[in-house]
Amino acid sequence: MFSFFASTEFQTVLSALNTGFVKTLQLFFVTLVGAVPLGLVISFGSMSRIPPLRWLTKTVVWMVRGTPLVLQIIALYYVPGLKGFHIWSGGESGRFTAVAVAFVINYACYFSEIYRGGIQGVPVGQQEAGLVLGMTKRQIFFKITLLQMIKRIVPPMSNEIITLVKDTSLARVVALQEVIWMGESFMKGNQGYAGLVWPLFFTAVYYLAFSGIATILLGKLEKKLEYFH
Amino acid sequence: MAILEVQHIEKHFGDTQVLSDISFSLEEGQALSIIGSSGSGKTTLLRCLNFLERPDHGAISVKGNVIFDASDPSTQAEKDIRQKRLHFGLVFQNFNLFPQYTALQNVTLARELLAKERGGEGKEDIAKAGRELLDQMGLADRADHYPHQLSGGQQQRVAIARALALQPDILCFDEPTSALDPELTGEVLRVIRSLAEQKTTMIIVTHEMAFARDVADQVIFMDGGVIVEQGDPREVIDHPKEERTKQFLSRYANG
Ligand SMILES: Nc1ncnc2c1ncn2[C@@H]1O[C@H](COP(=O)(O)OP(=O)(O)OP(=O)(O)O)[C@@H](O)[C@H]1O
Ligand SMILES: [Mg+2]
Repeated sequence: MFSFFASTEFQTVLSALNTGFVKTLQLFFVTLVGAVPLGLVISFGSMSRIPPLRWLTKTVVWMVRGTPLVLQIIALYYVPGLKGFHIWSGGESGRFTAVAVAFVINYACYFSEIYRGGIQGVPVGQQEAGLVLGMTKRQIFFKITLLQMIKRIVPPMSNEIITLVKDTSLARVVALQEVIWMGESFMKGNQGYAGLVWPLFFTAVYYLAFSGIATILLGKLEKKLEYFH
Repeated sequence: MAILEVQHIEKHFGDTQVLSDISFSLEEGQALSIIGSSGSGKTTLLRCLNFLERPDHGAISVKGNVIFDASDPSTQAEKDIRQKRLHFGLVFQNFNLFPQYTALQNVTLARELLAKERGGEGKEDIAKAGRELLDQMGLADRADHYPHQLSGGQQQRVAIARALALQPDILCFDEPTSALDPELTGEVLRVIRSLAEQKTTMIIVTHEMAFARDVADQVIFMDGGVIVEQGDPREVIDHPKEERTKQFLSRYANG
């Protein structure tokens, strides 16, 4: 047993999983950095006073939320090429870009609905109280509404972010070499039982650690906002 | 000269006329009570004064200056509205305190923002004035509490201090005790009464008839968006002339 941990096979597995995990992390952060602001833009679109813009946004959100992310990844990666538009460069970097774009769009749509709930959940009386006190719209947003909105969206955002941790594994559908793809390549090898169980085990450990840290950090933020109701 | 002059205000929401030909004036240091049944347009009138709604017709003057005239677009410039709002304060039925700020911060926030823009008072002076206002409301020991840690009556008193902090010319109250448990209305009414004794110019929408009669210098009875009767509170409330006023008041006969 201990000799296994010291073996070169184990070292190979671990370093491969590490490489895969870095890819997973990259996808996670790229998605967050892209989807958090894009979601805000989409939420404004879905609350727009211009009806065609509102309908268009709501239709896109409905389509994205109503179909599986895997399907969106596959479509986004393969369909342009089939039509003769080779927008994704070849190899791993092209796969990563395609997958990241699919993730950002998908998560931005989910986030936009959460933001919309958060914005509309702040009572109009808050804004009116600010107006009557001579505040500008800008002051009202930054000094009054924003924090109340954040408080409302943190719990549902936490759920989505934990889901995102696990959803990153869907990227392997186009052979992006994230952590599961890396693990799987060993399972298909000829290391027998150990070759199957250990990669599975360590992959699970990576995800648990990752989602554990995310849960703790988001929980801290939620606690921080508990001082008011 | 009257501090506030309201002339022929009219307001529609879509096809429904909510206010028609509302005219009245208010002298400095006086309190005006507005009474009337639900849906008679009392809140809408206060919202018009505070520029939360825009009247379709009519004019509003403060201290002899026309601050709004529906027929004169130059009085409606968006950039001036903020400044004009400061003539009025508004205390809401459901307080609308800012939950993420303490009682004191609720009182000082707007004044700090204004001071930052215009220069003048420092943060300490504003905080000191805020504490004095809370003290005046009987809340000196609640300055650092958050709204959710306060009772309804205490929250409403913070809201009154918050409105007073900007030293409005005219302070408006929209049913300040309607959202309160009966045992908490007294503390809020006492505070408003003491403001009246200090000659604060006020407009008070209320269902507390005895309070309106005792505190106000003038009372207006509204029904269906019009002023049915106005005058000395003892006259209007104890000896109404109009049939509609009599009917309305009979519901409060034992109250
Ligand atoms: N934003 C709005 N859009 C459409 N109708 C409105 C709006 N605000 C008020 N109204 C209508 O205007 C009328 C007067 O409402 P308002 O709130 O001014 O009455 P009120 O005298 O304050 O009543 P209450 O005693 O119940 O507070 C009501 O019929 C109400 O339904
Ligand atoms: Mg009302």
